[in-house]
This record gives sequence, C-alpha cells and structure tokens, in this order.
Amino acid sequence: MRTYELMYVVDPRVPEDEAIALSDSIKELVKTSGGTITKDEAWGRRKLAYPINKQNEGRYFLIYAHTLSDKGVNFGAVEHRLEQNDKVLRYLTVRTDGDIQRAKGKVTADLAAGIVPVVAVEEAPAPAPVVEE
Amino acid sequence: MAPPKKVFYRRRKVCKFCVEKIDYIDYKDVKLLQQFTPERSKILPRRISGTCARHQRLLQAAIKRARHIALLPFTTD
Repeated sequence: MRTYELMYVVDPRVPEDEAIALSDSIKELVKTSGGTITKDEAWGRRKLAYPINKQNEGRYFLIYAHTLSDKGVNFGAVEHRLEQNDKVLRYLTVRTDGDIQRAKGKVTADLAAGIVPVVAVEEAPAPAPVVEE
Repeated sequence: MAPPKKVFYRRRKVCKFCVEKIDYIDYKDVKLLQQFTPERSKILPRRISGTCARHQRLLQAAIKRARHIALLPFTTD
C-alpha cells in the first residue's frame, strides 16, 4: 500500500465556490490517476508565513490518498495540473507510507490520514520526570 | 589554598522526540515545528536542542516541507 498527502494553496482572490470546484476537480484527477481518497480537508483561509504572488493569505486544501496495489498514483498528471493553474500558489505532494512504516511498522490508510493518530502529542500524559544522574 | 572550583550543573539535554516517542514528524504540526525554529526562523541546531541525529534529520525535512507550503517562514525580518 502506498499512502500520499497532497496539500495545495489556492489564491485568496478566487471566490470560494470556484475554489471548491477546483478542489473537486483535483480530487477527481487523483482518482483517475489511480488513487483512492482516504480523507480530504479544507483548512480555509490561513495567513501565509511569507507573501506569495503578493498575497498574504491562502486557502489551504489537503488530500490524503492511498493505493491498495503496489502501483503508485500518477501524481505527475496531478502536479502538472496544479503547476499550470495560476490560482494555485503552492502545492506539496508527500508519500508517507515509508515514514509511517518506519514509525509504526505497518501502514494503513487510516494511519496515514491521521484518523488514527500516528503520534499523540497533545493527548500524551505529561512525560514522567526524567531521572538523570 | 586555591578557591574551590566552581561546579557547573548542566541538565543533560534529551531528545524531545525520543522522550515523547514521536516517530513521525508531521510538517503540518506547526506548533511543534515552531519550537525548533526560534526568532529568526532558523532551524535550531542539535547542539542546542539536544535532538538526536535521527530525529533532527526527520525534523529538518518536516521544517523544509512546512516552509515550502508557507506554513513556516524561511526568515523573519
């Protein structure tokens, strides 16, 4: 199984419905490129850490995808689409199964999409005081 | 008689990720990454943070990803 995360930032000047239409078309393209969408998130408008194309804000979208077979998702096509689209300020594709395998030993789509937390940072009880001599 | 030698007690630094058993450092976890990018937004060196080599490597990759997607700044001026 391969798991991926695709995050992209849409220009804030693009009206919301248009941005949603764009995200739908991207999801569709991921599917036709061989991926199954585990989960998708829209973070909404968020301040950028630095201006991109003179914009200080961006609309963040996040897609978690996986494949059941060993064949990967053809992200070349997806990235090409994002690259060509002027409304997309940034995108980032990450293949996560290797990292998750290293951390957890086995890979599941739920794990990759954070449905089952890979790490429980917030919930973790305060670490016991480390006794050092 | 020579003055008594000053003894420094330096708390041994431990890798935060080893202590909290974090094996996967997520680039989306801005709050966590910010702890390792002080003021100028440079990556905090291992010698200061005490992060172990393996986790520093994962951390470095996560910070760079976060920077690319504008979740973290490259620099602050």
